[in-house]
Amino acid sequence: MMYAAVHTRPDGDSTVARLALTAAEYGFDGLVIRNHGDALSDYDRGAIADTYGIDVVDGVEIRADDPSRASGFVGNHRDRRTLVAVHGGDPEMNRFAVEQPAVDVLAHPLAGDGDIDHVTIKTAAENGVHLEWSLRDVLRTDGGQRVEALRNLRKLHDLLSEYDAPYVVSGDPSSHLQLRTPRDLLAVGEALDYATEWIETGLSAWGDIASRNRDRASDAFVEPGVRRGRDTESE
Amino acid sequence: MKPLPKHVRQRWRYLAVGIETWPDVTIDRRAFQRHLWFAAQNLLGDVGSAATDLSVMQFGHDEGTGSAIVRTRRGSVSDARAVLTCLSEVDGNPIGLRVRGVSGTVRACEEKYLGGRGEATEHGNVAFEGAERPAISRDSHVDVRVETEFVGATQRDIS
Repeated sequence: MMYAAVHTRPDGDSTVARLALTAAEYGFDGLVIRNHGDALSDYDRGAIADTYGIDVVDGVEIRADDPSRASGFVGNHRDRRTLVAVHGGDPEMNRFAVEQPAVDVLAHPLAGDGDIDHVTIKTAAENGVHLEWSLRDVLRTDGGQRVEALRNLRKLHDLLSEYDAPYVVSGDPSSHLQLRTPRDLLAVGEALDYATEWIETGLSAWGDIASRNRDRASDAFVEPGVRRGRDTESE
Repeated sequence: MKPLPKHVRQRWRYLAVGIETWPDVTIDRRAFQRHLWFAAQNLLGDVGSAATDLSVMQFGHDEGTGSAIVRTRRGSVSDARAVLTCLSEVDGNPIGLRVRGVSGTVRACEEKYLGGRGEATEHGNVAFEGAERPAISRDSHVDVRVETEFVGATQRDIS
């Protein structure tokens, strides 16, 4: 089940419906709406999902100047949205995000002057925070910027594999024109010398996060950690 | 020179490519070919771009939608696909590309993957985000002009 994580109008240039339509045509199983917190879009999730036959995940990418503000935003959005990401790329925000079990995804941790080390990765793994392995700059820049992005992706890949930390893969499109099919993204991965499974796992991880969170938000959970009914696994 | 015997001739693969842009953009074959070569060179370098040996066999693009057939050497299909995936704009205009399928002949490529295209495009005003705006629609895809830019929408978004 491969998912595309996208920015929609007003954060991007296409509506949720147009991205859902294009993603469905392109063979994606789901679409994660990851608009920044200050550019959310208003849409009818269920109706769009039904019309285009694709899962639509209500997400948000929190962008804040400092961790204390970000922390407030995480609290606000956590109960209302299926997927909560934090806009990374700054050492302080990266550290904040990986320490929060309430955060699902740390977006583009190596963008800008962001960096990561083994401590960050281990903390992320402990808290179940997925690091985004973003193909954005590979797909849409060239020259020095792309070389830099490729180097960062390699570093992130090696650390994630070493510590078996969770991650998500995306092309991070902000219009239907920037969207690419899963198959085409796999070919890019192959050209960069990454195994097909690496990209596939990352594209489906979005869906896994969504279904886990939906399950947690469902009536089966009385409160965090307490599930209604018998636990069949422990018997 | 004599044509090479069949078993030593180069074998090709043909990629059927779907193209989409904003409706006010027109891309011609030469510009597409040039950018494709740049993209190959940037992604794969001289060695890789010689190995994929991309060329545009057929090209059509009008009112924001089109298709192309791109030839590559057999065995380089994955690299060719990667290059197409990384082609994000032509002459500064964003371009959406998707490989619809791969065939061993141009004819099969056309028949299997590029047939049945060309739904009529309609021009007219639509109600979008609380105002009447000019739009170009094709099937359920609607590109709405909002001030100077286009917005990608669908029939669902307009009322």
